[in-house]
Amino acid sequence: MTDDDRGDRDGSGAGGFEDVEDSSDFGEVEDGLLEEELRQAAAALDPVPEALRQLALDAYALYDLDARVAELTFDSLLDSLPVRGAGDVPRMLTFQVGELSVDVEVGGDGLMGQVLPPQPARIEVLSGPGPGASLTADELGRFTGAPPPVGPFALRLHTGGDVVVTEWLRA
Amino acid sequence: MSSRTALRTAYDDRSYTRGESVERAEVGALVRSAVDGDAAAWKALVEGLGPLVWSVVRAHRLSDADGHEVYQTVWFRFAQHLGRIREPDKAGSWLASTARNECLKTLRSLSRLTVTDDPQLLDRVSEDGTPEQSLLDSEEAAAHSERVRRLWQEFDQLGDRCRRLLRVLMASPPPSYQEVSAALGVAVGSIGPLRQRCLRRLRARLDARGTS
Repeated sequence: MTDDDRGDRDGSGAGGFEDVEDSSDFGEVEDGLLEEELRQAAAALDPVPEALRQLALDAYALYDLDARVAELTFDSLLDSLPVRGAGDVPRMLTFQVGELSVDVEVGGDGLMGQVLPPQPARIEVLSGPGPGASLTADELGRFTGAPPPVGPFALRLHTGGDVVVTEWLRA
Repeated sequence: MSSRTALRTAYDDRSYTRGESVERAEVGALVRSAVDGDAAAWKALVEGLGPLVWSVVRAHRLSDADGHEVYQTVWFRFAQHLGRIREPDKAGSWLASTARNECLKTLRSLSRLTVTDDPQLLDRVSEDGTPEQSLLDSEEAAAHSERVRRLWQEFDQLGDRCRRLLRVLMASPPPSYQEVSAALGVAVGSIGPLRQRCLRRLRARLDARGTS
């Protein structure tokens, strides 16, 4: 409520009618007109940027029924206490699907992680619909890569005959 | 005057019943077609729901860089989950709440980094975002674009709650109240009354400036 009280004061000179319940059709129509005007203003002044529209169109290439999606189950950004005065602490992420989990640390100099249960894997670091940099996890499932992802990213893991993609998130 | 008449006509052409407009009824069918490999259906989803996702991003006042990344992340994740969306009819709500969560996550990480002076947070409307040049071709059109500019200015100065709600409501095509609820984390039942209050407050501000 409080953040809207400003509007009351601003509008008081104009006769404070705006908060009077007006259930008439006229009021409804007027509301609808003003909303429609806002819609046209938004379309003109603040539309979806063309580059983003194109990226969303291209994102259809990321639709892959054959891949399993490993969901984010831990994110140190959300699930741990803030670390005072330490902006360069790596971000810890855990993704999980079925029995498989992927631990990832994203730090200033790159990313490292481990596939569990331990197993070799080919890993692509995706940043969009196109192909991504390729990494290899050793027999213990450990992998490292540089540079660190910037912006949206996901890991696509090829293990045995299986393809697993981690849920998209922002680095 | 004529621009106002045109607006009235445009408005009367569409259903007053939110969430039951033709566009929204098609969402479930479009999702199912996209799942079956129909790229045109995906395109229709992007055209129909992209403005809603963008509105949610804008309603949260992220910097341009953050906003762009959130927008992409939401669509990448939607594509990734496409075949697993449990209620295709509610894809709009799925997108809206995913966008909201990403926005909140961004705002939380920003406050954690104690960034206090991001200049991009201050000014939303860039100069190159002015209405199409063709609108300026006549005096009447110039008056119209001036009104649009003032409308936007007054909207932008509303209190947070109203500004956020209206920014989501003004997505095109109009979002359903379920989608607005998902976008803002407010109860569906509170949207109608709040919408009325915010629109009338905005009109009062315009009247006070003598621009209505």
